[in-house]
Amino acid sequence: MASLITCPHCGQRPKEEFTIKGDAGLTRPAPDADADVWYDYVYLRDNPKGLHKEYWHHSSGCRRWLIVERDTVTHKVHSVADAALAELGGAA
Amino acid sequence: MPDLPTSKPALAGKAPLQGVQFAVEALPEGHLLQLMGPTTLDELRALFDTFGLGGSVIRAAGFRQWYVMGEAPLEPAALRGIAGALPRGVFLSDQSHGRVRIRVSGPRAAQVLARGTAVDLHGSQFPAGAAAMTLFGHIPVHLSRTGEAEFELTVLRSFAEALFGELEPFAA
Amino acid sequence: MSSYRLSTGGQIDRARSIKFSFDGKALTGHPGDTLASALLANGIQLVGRSFKYHRPRGILTAGAAEPNALVTTGTGGRTEANTRATMIELHDELNARSQNRWPSLAFDIGAVNGLLSPFLSAGFYYKTFMWPAGFWEKVYEPLIRKAAGLGKASYEADPDSYEKCWAHCDLLVIGAGPAGLAAALTAGRAGARVLLADEGFAFGGSLLTDGDARLSAMLAEFEALPNVQCLPRTTVIGWYDDNVFGAVERVQKHVAEPDPRQPVERLWRIIAKQAILASGAEERPLVFGGNDIPGVMMAGAMRSYLNRQAVAPGKRVAVFTTNNAGYRTAADLEAAGIEVAAIVDPRSEGEPGWNGKAKVLTNSCIVDALGGKAVSGVSIAGASGVQRLEADAVAMSGGWSPVIHLACHRGAKPVWSDTHAAFLAPERQEGLLLAGSAAGLWSIEACLNDGARKAAEALEAIGFAKVEPAFAEGDTAQRAATPFWFAKGSKGKAFVDYQNDVNLKDLGLAVREGYGDVELAKRYTTNGMATDQGKLSNINAIGILAEARGVSPAEVGTTTFRPFYTPVSFGALTGVSRGKHFQPVRKSPLHDWASKNGATFVETGLWYRAAWFPRAGETTWRDSVDREVLNIRQNAGLCDVSTLGKIEIFGKDAATFLDRVYCNGFAKLAVGKARYGIMLREDGMIYDDGTTSRFSDDHFFMTTTTALAAGVLTHLEFCAQTLWPELQVHFASSTDQWAQMAVAGPKSRAILSEIVEEDISDLAFPFMSARTVSLFGGKLEGRLFRISFSGELAYELGVPAGYGEYVADAIMQAGQKHGICAYGAEALGVMRIEKGHVTHAEINGTVTPGDLGCGRMVSATKPDFIGKAMLAREGMQAPDRPRLVGVKPLDPKARFRTGSHILSDGAAATLENDQGYVTSSCFSPNLGHTIGLALIKNGPERIGEKVMIWNGLRNEFTDGVICSPVFIDPENEKLHA
Repeated sequence: MASLITCPHCGQRPKEEFTIKGDAGLTRPAPDADADVWYDYVYLRDNPKGLHKEYWHHSSGCRRWLIVERDTVTHKVHSVADAALAELGGAA
Repeated sequence: MPDLPTSKPALAGKAPLQGVQFAVEALPEGHLLQLMGPTTLDELRALFDTFGLGGSVIRAAGFRQWYVMGEAPLEPAALRGIAGALPRGVFLSDQSHGRVRIRVSGPRAAQVLARGTAVDLHGSQFPAGAAAMTLFGHIPVHLSRTGEAEFELTVLRSFAEALFGELEPFAA
Repeated sequence: MSSYRLSTGGQIDRARSIKFSFDGKALTGHPGDTLASALLANGIQLVGRSFKYHRPRGILTAGAAEPNALVTTGTGGRTEANTRATMIELHDELNARSQNRWPSLAFDIGAVNGLLSPFLSAGFYYKTFMWPAGFWEKVYEPLIRKAAGLGKASYEADPDSYEKCWAHCDLLVIGAGPAGLAAALTAGRAGARVLLADEGFAFGGSLLTDGDARLSAMLAEFEALPNVQCLPRTTVIGWYDDNVFGAVERVQKHVAEPDPRQPVERLWRIIAKQAILASGAEERPLVFGGNDIPGVMMAGAMRSYLNRQAVAPGKRVAVFTTNNAGYRTAADLEAAGIEVAAIVDPRSEGEPGWNGKAKVLTNSCIVDALGGKAVSGVSIAGASGVQRLEADAVAMSGGWSPVIHLACHRGAKPVWSDTHAAFLAPERQEGLLLAGSAAGLWSIEACLNDGARKAAEALEAIGFAKVEPAFAEGDTAQRAATPFWFAKGSKGKAFVDYQNDVNLKDLGLAVREGYGDVELAKRYTTNGMATDQGKLSNINAIGILAEARGVSPAEVGTTTFRPFYTPVSFGALTGVSRGKHFQPVRKSPLHDWASKNGATFVETGLWYRAAWFPRAGETTWRDSVDREVLNIRQNAGLCDVSTLGKIEIFGKDAATFLDRVYCNGFAKLAVGKARYGIMLREDGMIYDDGTTSRFSDDHFFMTTTTALAAGVLTHLEFCAQTLWPELQVHFASSTDQWAQMAVAGPKSRAILSEIVEEDISDLAFPFMSARTVSLFGGKLEGRLFRISFSGELAYELGVPAGYGEYVADAIMQAGQKHGICAYGAEALGVMRIEKGHVTHAEINGTVTPGDLGCGRMVSATKPDFIGKAMLAREGMQAPDRPRLVGVKPLDPKARFRTGSHILSDGAAATLENDQGYVTSSCFSPNLGHTIGLALIKNGPERIGEKVMIWNGLRNEFTDGVICSPVFIDPENEKLHA
């Protein structure tokens, strides 16, 4: 019926307003990184049981990319942060 | 052909509808500017005032984004003037034709809007002046409250007819 | 005909009559009746036939758990099958029919199944109808489906409307019995936003059954509390993540002719900070022979009909009870002047304090109810043997099971309580508290107190200052319950699951055959799998399995509770999303222009695009498309390309950003120029293509394909916000801001020159120019691009959307003397195939720039861009990759289709011999034959090779030859004219 994500910019919204992309723990490798590193980045994904950080896009809202920390067992959302602001330490 | 180029509103021919405690009306297509970048509402307010646009409303439209909306169309020269006066790193995209404003009003307005959006429209949570980017049903909208029983929906032009069509039955 | 309406009493409006019908018979009832109570008041106890054995069935309950009294209501498109008579509020013109009977309810041929019952026991599907093979599908199943069943759905469209809505509250109270009312009152007084939902049409729950005088004052207080929203006729159907509840409100199911401006049902999605589940408890049937004969009823239901609707179940009632509920029913029956034949109680001590007239038989059980279509008596087994008593109705109460479904929808497991003889859910979960009978409290005083206390607790948890409970603590002591699972020594069938016809022996058989696990027994016997989901039967089945296995019910455990709590109509789940509202339509600003020029439209995603513009005399779409294509290559055409994605890109780092998202270079693109760009995915495959123009140092304008307009913007935002947040770059979608017109053909310059002020000669405005231009002598500004998808001399002109129709009209007018025509997406498609331009038919997720012959576009100098690392992989450059070429038939009259596969000449038509496939094809009116683009292994090296074009689906073979993908103007002379 619904689950809710609290967007740091827009407040609590239902999942219908969002698009999920997946693991937010990945770091894009340097262009000259080993093929193995690129392979991991592009193709391999963990499927953890428990806490998991994922990219969610508030596609029908503010269109910001968020990092949602979610429990894959209980679906409980533990934290939501703006991805860019988190990376830049809050000073975009 | 008419001498002067004429603009045809997206909701041309859609008469305002007055139903039981609920009305829906397409607003004139004046100006609607999308502002992006590190600025503040106050800074934008002061800037637009200097351009004689004190009557335009400025509403938050997401992180570091605002819509400046008013009933008068703006000439390209005027737009260039504003764009040139913006603080460094702040940009303007003219959306005067890209987005259409629809007013809904009446004691049932909040109730009707709750058919489509999950934003809590209770007066304590969404008072006059509040704005949100959200969905109405399947259609993305910018929703703002302009009075206790009055709201504005800003919608992409291509969806305007569909959104009006969704609201029409409630004003029957 | 033993039930009847008492001459006085009840909470019905006797001054008004309601006319309704059942199986065609005209009947009357009163406001305050349900269909069930009205049928009973009219002496109708036989209301349906059972699923498997076609046994006569009556009304068992007075609520949502009803397994027997399923009827079909309404006619035509309003036909609704399998609705519970106990939940239907009586209204004028209600037309109800019984189900699963033929030729009539009283005489039902299917009842012969009862005689076949030895073959229809648990697991019969797996045993009885196994041989001969093939008979199941052709003989057995059709017969069983015909005989067993529920009501029939209508084939007509539902004329009514449905809707969905969202709601928010501090406290959602589910159930308006004593606990729920006390909770809502407490929260309402504290100023909280409260939603109070109850599935019935009248609030009160057991206060209604008791006729409790406090109820009216409570309801009056809600009237004065605007912060409390009452939702009668609203069933909360599920508890979901983040404390969202689903509920269905039956807005107009109780009126003869629904107001078309209102929905008949409304699906609520309720976002509750806190919720209290005060759903009460379900009375358990007792399992004894003939416990399904019409006239056998739950004791609480009998009491409810008696006190609320003044309906007497009969003249002489036998009561079979394991708890005080049966005694309360007996007392109320006697108070109404109805004889109670006996109170039969398996407990040795009975119930203390009984001072009614009826005798109490302790240590006794009703082993069989007697009768066929109505109860005629009971057999009672006690210490002194078996005795028979005459009775025309039986009240039974096997104890109470808290209604905990919602509390278990998110994974919580019910726990068996010996003192309650019931499964209990956790009393406190995050966001949800159980109160009253749902938490195992049986007395009204205890429920009032508990509801009030729990509301205070819930509100304090979300920051309300000390909240005063609306009810003080009263006497809450309660007696331990005694479980009783079935009467031993029954002769008749003792039903456990009424709706699926599962009886005591079926469960015993399941245990003996090794299916005693609760999940296995459920599926083997189908116990609990009917539309009532075992509301009455599950706990008894667990008790019976436990006893058969010699363990405690705690060890057997329960099956999983899943939403929905009760069946939900498809209409409610669909809401307004049907018919023309199924999905929103997107319309181009040139839609009306295309329309008045006679366009035939095609749906492209949500968009309606002009596909072609038929003219008088043209009989097929090909006639129109061929004419449009030839005319454009000869003269000129105007096409609406507004649906292509358009993105404004701003910022001092915009050029750097574009360099990283495109595989080719953009940083050095000059202001006033456009460039074709290819965007890769990180795996090196092409994601999308389009042109991007530069309007100033820090302002670019990107176009995308129609299909990926939203996806590309999302991708850009992902890159900008998560990969390189340090770059200063902003995006604004301007797809809807511009009416975009492609003007193509050798005469396009002459035509546009009449409108555009600036010099657009080849010298002043060469191929790939892009600039703001002045139109109509400076009265309007637009953006002009010299780009071409057709291969012709061509421009794209963008003007603010509202001016689109005016400008398109002006171009058509200016172009009239040059022979301009309107053209659509089909002609556009033909011309791009003729020119060898790709779309997502070729960009299929497995092609690289090299595969499309654009390998040289990929920057070798840029340090990084999306896809660079993976594109360098071995194999991504392999020559035998399927690569873009053209194909044409050897015989110009021969044709082939898109999707056909390519075989080497002479090779057998097998997938092993597959060389590639035709990605796009069309009839080229310029060449006079079919042409195609194809991805073929080693393609460019095989130009001139004869191949077989094979359509395996249609078994078509066409001799063809591989050729250049550019069929028209390979030297680009037209383009650069």
